Amino acid sequence: MKFVKPVLLVLFLAVPLIAFAEKAKTIDELAKMYDSSRCKSCHAEIYAQWEKSHHARPLMGVKGGLMLSPIALKKGEKGSTAFSEDDPKKMTIRNFPCFKCHLPQAVASADDSVAVELTEALIAKDSAKVARLQITCIVCHNEKAIIHKRELGAPEKGVLYGKKDVPAHMDGTFKTVKKSAIFKDSVFCGQCHGLGPNLEFDQAFQCANLYGSYLHNYVSSGGTKTCQECHMQKGDHLIAPNFNDDKQTSELLAKAINLEVETLGYEWLRKAATYVPKIVVNTKITTTAGHRIPDG
Amino acid sequence: MVVTAKSVDGKEIGKFERHYHPQATNCRDFKMKYGAQWKVANLRDTSLQPGQAKKEIIEFDLPEGVRAADVTVDLVYEDVNPDNRYPIHSITKKVSLDK
Repeated sequence: MKFVKPVLLVLFLAVPLIAFAEKAKTIDELAKMYDSSRCKSCHAEIYAQWEKSHHARPLMGVKGGLMLSPIALKKGEKGSTAFSEDDPKKMTIRNFPCFKCHLPQAVASADDSVAVELTEALIAKDSAKVARLQITCIVCHNEKAIIHKRELGAPEKGVLYGKKDVPAHMDGTFKTVKKSAIFKDSVFCGQCHGLGPNLEFDQAFQCANLYGSYLHNYVSSGGTKTCQECHMQKGDHLIAPNFNDDKQTSELLAKAINLEVETLGYEWLRKAATYVPKIVVNTKITTTAGHRIPDG
Repeated sequence: MVVTAKSVDGKEIGKFERHYHPQATNCRDFKMKYGAQWKVANLRDTSLQPGQAKKEIIEFDLPEGVRAADVTVDLVYEDVNPDNRYPIHSITKKVSLDK
């Protein structure tokens, strides 16, 4: 019995310490925890595509913006949100519901101190620091890879998930690749490219409707293509559009959206001898996209 | 989409704009909100939908003495704000009242 008390005490202290140690306390720690830069050595082309993608800058918005800045504003300040606090030090992971999709690893692996540091970085417009937080290879190929957790369990440590099994993956940490049940399915993308309002939060908000539009307008009208078939052709991890590339975005939109214009000129007669010269323009816009445009 | 009609000498005769996008509020008032932090649900949705054509019929009355016009239809994608524009299509047609 003399042993029991010290052992229990050590266990009692150790468990929260271990749990705490698993959470990143700083932006650098979180970035390092999910760092995928070593993937580049073998998957250079895919990595280069990803580097230009919005997944590589999920908190940056378009063209260098810092999309979470309104949340970092002090509560009550013009432009602040319901998620803002009156002191950056009060910010927690729960103050950034956008992390659900824009930085899923923060929900699972970041301490509230990361939220404080991010808030201060946003206030200071420290783009370089904010840009360190990315949706890396590990986020999709591990963290978000399984949606049937009750049947298949949570994503395993040291395992990546992809389109096929790779029993001996040449990486020191992720030594195996397992075939994912959903990697080729739209529902994989639908985890983040959303159904509509996020009603599970204490303050509901709405971001992407894209997957909802896909299900309720595209599939319901007979559409059979997946997100990946259009946006990841030949495995392209840019997953266009890249709104920082004006030319490419315009070309992609022009490919997906068709515009027809017909015109007619005539003189309209409403009453005797009173002609009104008139032109009529008929426009017709059609799209081959499998979702609403615009959406995200 | 912006439809502009100009006379042969370049003077604007008429202009028509149509915006295609979901419009959301916070469900606490009737002001449209822009930005996920504030939006709660779509109030109206004029966006382009899969498999559904958007058709418009636009009429311009020509000023007295004008019997021809250049009609330009510009389809543009605006992202975040009206200054961040991605041109999609621009089609110009000449229209005359004379055969």
